[in-house]
Amino acid sequence: MTTVPQTHLERRYAALGLLLIAPTVLVFCVVIVYPLISAVYLSLFSIFTPTLQGEWVGLSNYQALLSTGEFWTSLGNNVIWTVGTLVLQIVFGVAMALVLHENLWFRALARSLILFPYFVSTVVAVLVWKWLFNDLYGILNHLMIVAGLIEFPLDHLGSMPNAMISVIIVGAWKYFPFVVIAVLARLQTIPEQLYEAARIDGAGPFARFWDITLPQLREVLVVIVLLRAIWDFKEFDLIFLLTGGGPIIGTQTLPLLVYKEAFALNRMGMAAAYAVVMMALMLAFMLIYIRQTRRRES
Amino acid sequence: MTGMNANGFSTTRRGALTGLAATAAVVALPKRASAQDTTLRWWSPQSAPAQVAAYKAQIAAFEAANPGVKVLFETTSDEGYAPQLAAAFASGEVPDIVTHLPSFAVQTYYANGLIEPFDSVIEAVGADDYYPGANDVYRAADGHFCGTGIGNTAANMIWMRRDLMADSGIDAIPRTWDELRAAVSAMQKGGVYGLPLPYGRNSMTSLIFIGFIHQAGGQIFTPDLQIDLDNEGTRNALEFYREMRDYSPPGATNYSWGESLTAFVSGATATGIYAGRVLVNVNTQNPPIADHVTCDTYPTISAEVATWTFNDFPSVFIPAQSQNKETAKAFAASLFNPEGYIQQLHAAPGHVLPVLRSINENPLYQDNPIIQKYPNEVELMANAAAGGFNLGYETTEHASNAKAGEIIASNVISDMVGRVILNGDNVDEALSAASATIEEIMAS
Repeated sequence: MTTVPQTHLERRYAALGLLLIAPTVLVFCVVIVYPLISAVYLSLFSIFTPTLQGEWVGLSNYQALLSTGEFWTSLGNNVIWTVGTLVLQIVFGVAMALVLHENLWFRALARSLILFPYFVSTVVAVLVWKWLFNDLYGILNHLMIVAGLIEFPLDHLGSMPNAMISVIIVGAWKYFPFVVIAVLARLQTIPEQLYEAARIDGAGPFARFWDITLPQLREVLVVIVLLRAIWDFKEFDLIFLLTGGGPIIGTQTLPLLVYKEAFALNRMGMAAAYAVVMMALMLAFMLIYIRQTRRRES
Repeated sequence: MTGMNANGFSTTRRGALTGLAATAAVVALPKRASAQDTTLRWWSPQSAPAQVAAYKAQIAAFEAANPGVKVLFETTSDEGYAPQLAAAFASGEVPDIVTHLPSFAVQTYYANGLIEPFDSVIEAVGADDYYPGANDVYRAADGHFCGTGIGNTAANMIWMRRDLMADSGIDAIPRTWDELRAAVSAMQKGGVYGLPLPYGRNSMTSLIFIGFIHQAGGQIFTPDLQIDLDNEGTRNALEFYREMRDYSPPGATNYSWGESLTAFVSGATATGIYAGRVLVNVNTQNPPIADHVTCDTYPTISAEVATWTFNDFPSVFIPAQSQNKETAKAFAASLFNPEGYIQQLHAAPGHVLPVLRSINENPLYQDNPIIQKYPNEVELMANAAAGGFNLGYETTEHASNAKAGEIIASNVISDMVGRVILNGDNVDEALSAASATIEEIMAS
């Protein structure tokens, strides 16, 4: 195989190309590659957070974390939280999007209001929910007692499985508007003729949803599930503020464990190891999910 | 190379560079001008509105006496200061002065070279004016003081309501656990719970339970700091704490300081466990019970075991990375000037108690409606706090424990409480796991 020598002009164009792409590569390296390599590098040290001084320990951090029950419990909690809240977000989100797609007289107002939970600050949302859940003054317990459902107040955030259920519900409430907006946008682009043809063929509402709406929503739902799964998996503030990971470590997910290692136990190296493992888990999930989705599409 | 935009304005590379340099110079100008000024950042977790107002008055007085110096007050929290300071130390973006953190946290930071020695500030305040031994808890291994107390707090007093005691036929404040059990059992009725003990995964549960261990005659460490968590006192404390769960509100599994305080002040519980802030809170938030409230040191397992008051010895210290150490030291000393200090103490009367004898004797300090209304309670708390301890200073015989802050921040004690009481785990296993974790922290 012979190579054709490049002309002076071609070399200059190639150099110009490199020059033009350089800023993007530089930014990518600074904001993605450097932190990634730093995290992996830090995870090989035992580091005292306040001083950032430490010593090389190799893979000991990984060995230690994989052998602790706390890691596996937190991973299990992470999966329960992510799957639980994601399923509720999708179910409520799609259902609400279908309602808001109908010709209702308050549709414009409802479409605006539905975004409220998503826009409100997590701190404010958690404070409100903590008051709702409060054992002594919370409206939730009060209504349940008045309705005769319970005799004594329920401990919503301090006992299991109530705490995990409460966290999942608050998470679903906070983030389902994202699903509503994305699905609603897609619903508006489904051709009406498809529904008319289905009606002529005698398809009922359920059949129309199952055979037309859902297949049409598949692409957008794939993206929603991917994005929300990533965001929910690394959710920190909502869980930390609601339960702090308790009772004991009943709602402690991996991000809370990273925080605890880094700033409560001052073990930055170990925290970095947890973060790297988290990243690897998310990467594995994404690859499997994308591959499965493509296989199903083909 | 020349560029031309739609308006016909053209730039050359040299022109652009000149412009950039000029912009940079302009941006740098205010910095140069402001370099003559000093801004001190002050962190504290004690930030009730009245306290912040008192701090502002102290700041204003200092700024007036030191032109060019500005002091910026920033709030942290009892549960959040450890991670916030860890991040601050790691990034170098430290506050110039920190107040009201427990003494054991200060010892931890000093042991790692993160704190400035404080001897000169203590001298400036007047070492002889402190109560005897008030600064012992701040003496570091190298003989220097790593900080000083800005106040004393008796954090685990038992709070009682005389009206409820009378209704239940209880004529004296419980002094032993048997009496406490009988009292809360009698007073838990009509929607009122017995006590607001914390069972949450937080520092309050850890700190309060350490008190229970000592009130049962146990300890966490031996005087030479060998781990001694697995002892009869701890086991008895776990058993009693488990019994008391039946007399606590359901949500106590998530209680920290705020929730526990509110439970008593609102009247949801018949007894309370807190510091002197109860006094001002009942008077402002629930006046009908204000005349019935009183306190004592927390009961012990038996009359033979001495009481053990938890005093976090609210501190003042200066991070070593501060760029304004001398100014910060001057400001730290100014916090003890009688007028401002008394105003600060009056912001939470009975809660933060004076560390200087001259202040306690000052008529201005005594001239406060809460202190005058509850003289016995305030006096009792002052004495209890003066003889108080914490994990960094378990008894007068114990060596100072520089790892106490990390042990509390790790939640290892509250996790142990949760495992045994909420999960029903085996006590031996829970004690063994907690001891192993503490050992790991001590060795780190």
